[in-house]
Amino acid sequence: MRKILIIEDDIFLQNLEANKLKKENYEIITASTGDEALEKINEPDIDLILLDLILPGVDGFDVLKAIKETENLKNVPVIVFSNLSEETDIKKAKALGAKDFMVKSNFSLSELSEHIDKILA
Amino acid sequence: MSKEIEELKMENEKLKKINEVKSDLISISAHELRTSLSALKWILKMFLDKDLGKITSEQEAFIKRALDSSDRMISLVNRLLTLNHSDELDIPFDFKKVNIIKTIEQTIFEFSGEAHKKDVDLIFLKPENEFPLIKCDEEMIRVVFQNLIENAIKYSQADDKIFISLKHNSKENRIEISIRDTGIGINTKDQDKIFNKFFRGSNALEKDSLGSGLGLFTTKNIIRHHKGKIWFESTSEPGTTFFITLPVS
Repeated sequence: MRKILIIEDDIFLQNLEANKLKKENYEIITASTGDEALEKINEPDIDLILLDLILPGVDGFDVLKAIKETENLKNVPVIVFSNLSEETDIKKAKALGAKDFMVKSNFSLSELSEHIDKILA
Repeated sequence: MSKEIEELKMENEKLKKINEVKSDLISISAHELRTSLSALKWILKMFLDKDLGKITSEQEAFIKRALDSSDRMISLVNRLLTLNHSDELDIPFDFKKVNIIKTIEQTIFEFSGEAHKKDVDLIFLKPENEFPLIKCDEEMIRVVFQNLIENAIKYSQADDKIFISLKHNSKENRIEISIRDTGIGINTKDQDKIFNKFFRGSNALEKDSLGSGLGLFTTKNIIRHHKGKIWFESTSEPGTTFFITLPVS
């Protein structure tokens, strides 16, 4: 079973994302703050990370930087899943190594799940 | 002279800063709106995907309509965000042939509750003859009507009337729209700034302190993008009339 780390501070959205992806047979681990995310990225065998940008404490950009600086995670695809869409945010996330930048409100969870399926195929 | 130039420079810097703060506030509000709309969209889609169990065909039809509405709202937030950040408006508009009478009727319907609450009459002087379809971006033109009708209601008093009229100028191949209210009007000193970004008229501020000052700026940009024109008349008589012309194609 492929393992996905969901980093999302809005618990309601996090539950919706987690439930949908569990139904699609993914193993899910979650983090609700930047600091918690920095701990959870040390869990073994993470296949993909779904990352929100606005997080309490350490923000999503710093979490992304830490992920890409971690030897066994630097090739793990990170999808930034945020409701920010400023050009500067998108460029910054790409420069830090995000695979994709998806604006949450523009995608349904089915579309997100299909996108993850493709990446992990 | 150099002192005056220095003061103007300082004033300019101050306005730039205010502009930046307001832009940031709009981005933050859009982010919050998108978060709520994401939850709504995801849940409605889960119902339609039967993730939450079976639904009847009647329920499905209602949920589809709700999902359409939330998608429309998301699309508006996205595009208004772009408008906020680009004075050039170099964004793609979705031009299609549109029944503009229907768009106006829908917008009037949308505001009928608000008008009723304030005891204001919204009167559509609908053209009697056959009317051409207009090539425009319907959602953006809807924003124009929403902004103008919302303002007209906001600045009207009980028993006031708002007239919306529409005619086809076949000679010029354009349509002419007017939205006339009998509200508080626009002060003479404010009239040349009324379409400026973030500008709020002094009497408008007294009436409603929470407006963004983006409505008329956005409206003018949308009309300009359609190669149309917008202007207004607001004399010492009570009320304001906004005029819009739009090419048919």
